[in-house]
Amino acid sequence: MSQFQKEIVQAVLIADNNAWNFKPLSDEGPTALLPLVNVSMLDYALIALNRSGVEEVFVYASTFLQDIREHIKQGIATSASWSFAMTVHVIGGEGCRCFGDAMRDLDAKALIRGNFILLGADTVTNADLRPVLEQHKRNAKFDKGNAATLVFKECASNTPRTGNELLIAVNKQNDRLLYHQRLRMNHKETRYQLPLDVFLSNACVTMHHNLLDPQIAIGSPSMLSLFSDNFDFQTRDDFVRGLLINEELLDSRIYVAMLPPAQYACKVNNWLAYQLASRDIINRWAYPLAPDMCLYKLQQQYAFHKDNIYKSHDALVSKVALQENVVIQAGSQVDTGTLINSSVIGANCHIGKNCQLTSVFLMDNVTIKDNCVLQHCVIGAGAIINNHCAITDGCVLGSKCILPAKTKLANKLLSSNLRSDNNAIEVVSYGPQAYVISDSASAEADDSDSEDELMFKSNKPTIPKMCPLQMLLNEDSDSTYSSDDEDEDGSRLVTPLPDDTNIFLSEVIDSLTRGFREMSNPDFLILEINSSRYAYNMSLKEVNFYVVKAVFSLDSVLEPANNNVLAAISGVFKQLGPVVSNYIKSEDAMLDCLKALEDICEENELVRDKISQVVHYLYDKDFVSEDAVLAWYEQLDVTEHATLRQSLAKLVEWLNQSSEEEDD
Amino acid sequence: MREQPLKEVTQLIHAIKMGLVEGSYNITNKTLDIFKYIIMSKSWHSADELMRIVRAQSRILQAALPQETVTSNIARRILKLTREEFDLLQAKVQHFADDSQASLSLHKLVTQTSESNVSVDYSLPQQGLREALLDHLQEVETELDTSSENISVQAEEHIHSSEIILTLGHSRSVENFLKRAIKKRQFLTIIVAECAPACRGHNLAATLANEKNVEIIVIPDSSIFAMMSRINKVIIGTHSVLANGGLRAACGAYTVALAAKHYSVPVIVLAPMYKLSPLHLCEQDAFNMVGCAEDVIAYDSVASREAKVYSPMFDYVPPELVTLFISNTGGHAPTYVYRLLTELYHPEDLEI
Repeated sequence: MSQFQKEIVQAVLIADNNAWNFKPLSDEGPTALLPLVNVSMLDYALIALNRSGVEEVFVYASTFLQDIREHIKQGIATSASWSFAMTVHVIGGEGCRCFGDAMRDLDAKALIRGNFILLGADTVTNADLRPVLEQHKRNAKFDKGNAATLVFKECASNTPRTGNELLIAVNKQNDRLLYHQRLRMNHKETRYQLPLDVFLSNACVTMHHNLLDPQIAIGSPSMLSLFSDNFDFQTRDDFVRGLLINEELLDSRIYVAMLPPAQYACKVNNWLAYQLASRDIINRWAYPLAPDMCLYKLQQQYAFHKDNIYKSHDALVSKVALQENVVIQAGSQVDTGTLINSSVIGANCHIGKNCQLTSVFLMDNVTIKDNCVLQHCVIGAGAIINNHCAITDGCVLGSKCILPAKTKLANKLLSSNLRSDNNAIEVVSYGPQAYVISDSASAEADDSDSEDELMFKSNKPTIPKMCPLQMLLNEDSDSTYSSDDEDEDGSRLVTPLPDDTNIFLSEVIDSLTRGFREMSNPDFLILEINSSRYAYNMSLKEVNFYVVKAVFSLDSVLEPANNNVLAAISGVFKQLGPVVSNYIKSEDAMLDCLKALEDICEENELVRDKISQVVHYLYDKDFVSEDAVLAWYEQLDVTEHATLRQSLAKLVEWLNQSSEEEDD
Repeated sequence: MREQPLKEVTQLIHAIKMGLVEGSYNITNKTLDIFKYIIMSKSWHSADELMRIVRAQSRILQAALPQETVTSNIARRILKLTREEFDLLQAKVQHFADDSQASLSLHKLVTQTSESNVSVDYSLPQQGLREALLDHLQEVETELDTSSENISVQAEEHIHSSEIILTLGHSRSVENFLKRAIKKRQFLTIIVAECAPACRGHNLAATLANEKNVEIIVIPDSSIFAMMSRINKVIIGTHSVLANGGLRAACGAYTVALAAKHYSVPVIVLAPMYKLSPLHLCEQDAFNMVGCAEDVIAYDSVASREAKVYSPMFDYVPPELVTLFISNTGGHAPTYVYRLLTELYHPEDLEI
């Protein structure tokens, strides 16, 4: 009898995915309830599911289970639009620490009966997932090992990276996923490496390098059991990687579906993505997820005006104050002389006279006194900012923060209460209810290589923050422009490499990568490099040049943890130092080494920023002599390498001084 | 005091928002069902109470869906009906009490209601009001059902053989009207402007192409003006008719109307009575609706980053550009709309 029943569409919504990205607001409440254009992100996800015809949703929460349960209950009571034709269950527990745990728990509870839609609470989409679900079912008919279908969206090439971009290889005939790699956030790759196997075993392969991962997937029942069988699967990426590597062993395959261009999807998992998603929602790209469509509440909340201004009827604002892309909730008041641009203002906020707000996201009940300047920041609920404050560049204020008058803040995270657990670090405070808290990235920074004090300064947080979007775009276009420059300029070393040298370089990189990973004996590596050298008939000069280049082309240097390139370099040299010093012995060789460094600077932005420290490090470790550095510095073209010279100037001066002292 | 929405009302709002219920005919029908349900329910005991419930629910519908004026129009019809029935029954009772005249003369009726207009006490419980209302609702329902039919019957009067007709987008009334005309007349040429970005004109052209003996041409909106010189009549539908006789019609209707004016081509608007709403244009906020930016420009394009993209759903067409309205009761000039409104709705119900 039961098999004649209509199969109901189920969905799983993971409510707290990467909680730490939204510090400090993520410490105070669930990120799923963080308002995005005054509607919580959980509601966006639920609306998306409801629009896709889902009938039963399991919201999986862990840390803030109670809050989420409360929110769902309230939503049903106020007849939120997702509460129609859809039952929502909140499940979960304290023990669940990651995505994998949630999936294992779901498997144990045996709530999922068939194919299901898997979504993160931070996904904003207007896509209709029904066709994708159908495609998944079709694939499952032909392939019993169909574990999941991942849904991707092609992203515009001119958008800034938010860490959700990836490169995949797909079998064109049956949409099977063959290769999966996340793209780097801060600087664009110049080359990708794909296993040859992908091309050998498939007749027709498509590569997609501009995909956005909105964290939408269709799962088969076997997906949950796969998580249960493999305890090391922590995240969805682990799952994908594990399945791709052990495809035969697990007998499961992953398929891929693309959203059509008219459907919007993105994942809001950091402040930069938050800013972009807000902009897109306000600009009606995610229609009908637009502020004035009253998707969440029953009643219309805003009136739409020219220049994408959404103003509640109960907000006290003169129209002049709002420039463009502004959303103002009910009960908020803006005094005279204030200008607001590209901002979202929550309910019952009060903004004083002559303030300037650009790209500011205010939660509910925020008070901003007169003459403040706020740019690219997030202010938590109930915060108070006194007169003449200036808050800029990706600041985030936790709820109930109180800033005293004339505070200047840039790029800081503030919380209203002091955590007892980080008493070890000296806490900077701007007032009785404003404590600076550290980024999770810098907290994790390893202290093992603390030999270099400079390293602390180089700690850039890996979590992208809000910033002027225009600037991001310009940066990108600048870099492409400069690379064009390079191509035009034939006098440089970077003329297209002849084939043999190219192969030689890649072989050296391979040897070094393997050696570095497996901690093998440097002598063997030298032997390998030497044999490659004779195979490709390289001169000694070239060998010197390319060995150094290869060392700096290792993955750990290109993609250093926490962007700490110095720590990465010192780690690499600890292991591969003997190899380098084997080649770099004479003064000439040192000059070759430095030339290689000059070359690397052009390709690797991180090294360029830290070039003086890198040279200093090499000098410290006796890879290069003082004379070599000075000679190299002399050789550098004044006009062509102006910036390089500039950053090296201090070091050279210091070297000169110390040599004079020695002379004395 | 905030009224709680009925479950049926919230469901209707949700269905309309999700696009499950589309087209003003369907929305009107569903709204009427809700009001019928309210009348049938036992939650009211006097005309006053009923009117309060109807007003409250209609206000909720209006706040949630400011663009769908038909819901309020139907509410006004119900309110007017309630008043009339109450008056009628009251008059009857008084007559029986007076026992002066067993039958109601027309004269008596008119004088009775106009005299008591000021002091009608709707809070008095009235026997038989529910039954009488349900009876009359039946009439409203039939009127709704036959409105499209009644409009299309008039096709022969307006469309003659070997004429060239232009229409815009896809309206249900226009479709039926043209189908009827195609059956009755020969050698018609129908030009359909596609009405970008939704391009619903394609659907209309596809359904009309099934008919025999007619030539269908689909044109982009940009060539409306170029084609206008050859056209005999413009026939369009509308989303609603405003109090001054202006139209809130699909985006592109203003282009058509202006081009028609330039070439002195008559513009005929098909508008069933339930689309007449006592609203004026000055209520700007709710007038237009802006659609998806993606329809106008691709998200990936470079320009999209800096551009403000608007994709309005409606056009306002001023009454002077409209030649004739055809409703289910016949043809009317735009200047006559105010008169129809006073017949249709009670003056006290204009503001719900």
